[in-house]
Amino acid sequence: MIEESGNLFLDFPDPRHCDRPKGVSRSRAFCFLFCLATGALGQAIDHEARKAEAEAYFRGSVTPVIKTYCTPCHQNRRPTRAGVNFDPALKAPGHAAFTEQWKRSAARVKAHDMPPKEAPQPSEAERQVIIDWMGKVKYLSPQDPGPFVIRRLTKTEYANTLHDLFGVPTSIADSLPDEVSGEGYLNSLSPLQLEQYLAIADKVVQRIAAPRGAPPTTIERRLFGTAPEGPARRRAAAREIARGLARKAYRRPPTEAEVDVLVAAYDLAGRSKQSYQQSLHLMLKAVLVSPQFLFITPAGEANPSSGLVRLDDYQLASRLSYLLWASMPDDQLLGLADRGALHEPEVLKAQTKRLLDHPRSRALFDGFGAQWLGVGALAKQVFDPAVFPQMKPALRAAMYDEARLFFESILREDKSVLRFVDGDYTYLNQSLAAVYGLDKVVRGPAMRRIQLRDPNRGGLLGMPGILAATSFPNRTSPVKRGVWVLEQLLGEHVPAAPPNVPALDQQDRAAISRLTTRQRTELHRTNPVCANCHQILDPIGFGLENFDAIGQWRTQESNGERIDAAGQLPGGQSFSSPKDLKGILAGRANDISRNLVERLLAYALGRRLEGYDEIVVDKMMEGIAADDHRMRSIVNAVVTSYPFTHRRIEDNRRQP
Amino acid sequence: MMQSKRLNRRACLKGLGVSLGLPLLETMGWADTKGQPYKPPVRLGFMYMPHGVIMEQFWPASAESYLSAASHALQPLKPVLDQCLMMKGISGVPISPFNGAPHALELSTWLTATLPAADKRNQISIAISADQIAANHIGSFTILPSLELATMPQTWKENQEGLNEAYYSHCSFRSPTQAVPAEVNPRNVLNRLFQKQGAGGQSAQLKPLDRSLLDIVLGGARELRRSLPVSDQRKLDEYLDSVRSVERRIAAVEHRQKEAALEKAGQRASKRYDTDSAPIEIKIPEGDKRSEYMQIMCDLNILAFQTDTTRVSTYIGSTPNGASYPELGFNDQHHSQTHHQGDSEKIRKVAAIVQFNVAQFAYMVKKMHGLREADGTLLDNCIMMWGSGLEDGMHHERENLPFILAGKGGGAIQTGRFLPDTKGNQGDLLTTLLACAGIPNDRPVGIATKQLNEIRG
Repeated sequence: MIEESGNLFLDFPDPRHCDRPKGVSRSRAFCFLFCLATGALGQAIDHEARKAEAEAYFRGSVTPVIKTYCTPCHQNRRPTRAGVNFDPALKAPGHAAFTEQWKRSAARVKAHDMPPKEAPQPSEAERQVIIDWMGKVKYLSPQDPGPFVIRRLTKTEYANTLHDLFGVPTSIADSLPDEVSGEGYLNSLSPLQLEQYLAIADKVVQRIAAPRGAPPTTIERRLFGTAPEGPARRRAAAREIARGLARKAYRRPPTEAEVDVLVAAYDLAGRSKQSYQQSLHLMLKAVLVSPQFLFITPAGEANPSSGLVRLDDYQLASRLSYLLWASMPDDQLLGLADRGALHEPEVLKAQTKRLLDHPRSRALFDGFGAQWLGVGALAKQVFDPAVFPQMKPALRAAMYDEARLFFESILREDKSVLRFVDGDYTYLNQSLAAVYGLDKVVRGPAMRRIQLRDPNRGGLLGMPGILAATSFPNRTSPVKRGVWVLEQLLGEHVPAAPPNVPALDQQDRAAISRLTTRQRTELHRTNPVCANCHQILDPIGFGLENFDAIGQWRTQESNGERIDAAGQLPGGQSFSSPKDLKGILAGRANDISRNLVERLLAYALGRRLEGYDEIVVDKMMEGIAADDHRMRSIVNAVVTSYPFTHRRIEDNRRQP
Repeated sequence: MMQSKRLNRRACLKGLGVSLGLPLLETMGWADTKGQPYKPPVRLGFMYMPHGVIMEQFWPASAESYLSAASHALQPLKPVLDQCLMMKGISGVPISPFNGAPHALELSTWLTATLPAADKRNQISIAISADQIAANHIGSFTILPSLELATMPQTWKENQEGLNEAYYSHCSFRSPTQAVPAEVNPRNVLNRLFQKQGAGGQSAQLKPLDRSLLDIVLGGARELRRSLPVSDQRKLDEYLDSVRSVERRIAAVEHRQKEAALEKAGQRASKRYDTDSAPIEIKIPEGDKRSEYMQIMCDLNILAFQTDTTRVSTYIGSTPNGASYPELGFNDQHHSQTHHQGDSEKIRKVAAIVQFNVAQFAYMVKKMHGLREADGTLLDNCIMMWGSGLEDGMHHERENLPFILAGKGGGAIQTGRFLPDTKGNQGDLLTTLLACAGIPNDRPVGIATKQLNEIRG
């Protein structure tokens, strides 16, 4: 049981923690100017009023509670207790650097995990002050879209982009290290990687080049045209080829200086006695190892005086295309960027629809959906072959595909996100149908849509991939499942297990081994340190105990004990089966929807949400709720949102 | 607008690339050794296992019985214990204020002896690691400044205490803000070390032309950098740094080739003795057995040292998340067993995992001891360190970190001893090892306050 607590940290990918480094300097003046410029004066006044109210609430209500119960331990002295220090946060409560601290603190206070039981305890009303503060702290943040630091293409994006440019298979990038998009250190680039980029560039050239003496290949003709006669004409032709190549590969028109660099590569080859064709190949190689190709870079120099700016249309085209297709913008998107029309909301929405309707939008599941649901690691997850011999690669792949097809059906058919909980259909092939006990009905390896009659199935909670991803190698984990529902589905913050979890009383081990998973998990609640959180987490997991560690229905545990799937949520709602639990969760449409919005926005921005983003999400939620929480209105709201279409830049002219 | 004076100047340089400097290369280490017997360089290797050990099954019972009665964990090292040195009493970096992040910090503090910056915890902000300090000094003599290996991909996982997930899976840091990724594919390592374009693997076949090409691209990248805001510039700096490293590596390859040609023509003394063992053979296994996989990585490390392709290596034998050892007859995850709560079965499993990891290290060390180099063995000229970043995974203590040192470091280290009452910390140890390898330290590593002179006997 203890190992479950110890293991909590291992298994929950959380895009909210996937952030890129973020600068901190920002100016409130820009906020005000921006509001004026966009004619949003009314909103600005509204915002100022809320901000004043939040400040008053903080000074009047929050500060006294913190000073009474928190700062006696968590203050500015070394060493700080558990690394938490409220002194700076009290001075600048709205600073983005403290967003996470406030969230974590509120989650602990809410769970009665803090203050520790030996310290003076706040009243329920005082606890509520801290919880309510979470709804107000955002108003202290000035308007800020966040930075959009130039970003290196992920492995997937890089491979897809090479494929789109040159028709080479995406496996050409297999040697690059695996990575998950949306994560913090993606941006980094090492000498090893650069060597790999060089090697892959060589492979690309090898693939598209005709053998010596042979006529050029189709792709060479498309990229390079026909060779003119004479060195001067050839050099002029090379320059035009460079311009065309760079426009596609850099996903924006190159500057003259950038074309010069490529022509210098052409000249270098010439000096090394290479043929015209070989010189063009070297130029191509220069494109493929240039930062303008490997990173998404802005089209022009930023105006040094501007702090908050709209993304240029080319950056926006890349951002949109890499979000929905994980590849470079196509001709239509670049054409709209040429005309400066892409940022217009109606154009942007129409393009979003076009991209989502295309099969390539599967990238959104592979990049985002799989990470959100936690099924991305299924292929490599360890299952005990003695207990679950059927967990072969094909079944794991089918589980992943089931989650994908279900996600895609909600996206394609523009359904309400509530269907994630209460959908009554799924996608199965024969091996996966065996997990459902439907293998008499579904035959063959092809996945197909199946209407489900069992009300305990359907939706994410009855889906084998998700049930397996939240299990141990040989048994279920009600704790992991509870955390999954709270965090991945409802977007709540679950405090991490405390370090050095104290041992449960070493009771008769033989007796423990006879207990069911549920009974053993319930031991948490005999220990007051564990009880506060686990009384929230565990019952949710108990509600899913009828599903074993790979999602098969069962009524008995392996020790023969009957499964007890009854439980009660903190709000007092009780349930006795997965079906009941689904029904209760389906009543939390706003939480489910908001969680998905926040996760998708964080993924789209490639950073953690903080401060002003919360206000942005509030605004987005109004429209989304009015549209019945439909999946496409969520995607549309994200791609037209202020932080997706704008960036904050730091003035650089003082740098040498 | 961005018309480049620099570019024009560059374009005028005859045979682009001459502007590239080769610091130290000619002045140190590679200096002509004609007339004197060649003294092999000292190499430094680090090998890691997470989650600590079962203390009573790891440490020798006493200084006296060290050679005669090997502990359970040390059984695989029995034949070469006289080539090893063990020191008990080395403490890790106290991890407060990150008490909730023992596993995020065990690896990342291991070679830095430094805590991440608390106010930038979601970024990489720590310190240059000892191996990279070494690479900065002795790396410029070799084709690769340093070699980073790992058994498991350094993939993304949620992290503890809001710390950047790279802290979980990286031990090498080029700079305080840059983690060095490790290579997990043995074929790629082989290709990278020896410039082979083998089937299946992908590695740059670096050509002289590439160096000139990169120089041109670098010029363009600097132009781009000038047009970007500060935050973007910092991102691009990593790129520029990487390009320069690869340029330097190509230059080192060329230098090696030139030197080999001179040796062949008899115009330069050879750096090899006739009695030196031939380079070991590498056979990449087909299956996915962990022991075979780890041993091929060890072989590659040996070969890289033996051929002086690099003088610094790290090998992350496993990372804190997700490792299991089916070869040992159980499928439990390493981490879950270390919280054993006194359960004898779990303790047995942890001890078996520890012994397994020591056995892989022993495989490498024994092989190195069997290879002749100059008037001794390859191991004589190496400093190999095996260790973990926790004392015992159950309570995450860091008072007596488990370490094994092997090799004499060219004569600097007196092996065959167990020092049960060493007083010092991880930073002291790393500082001492760097000094033993002849690396001038202008400042101590991390929390170090002194050198551990008892290492020299």
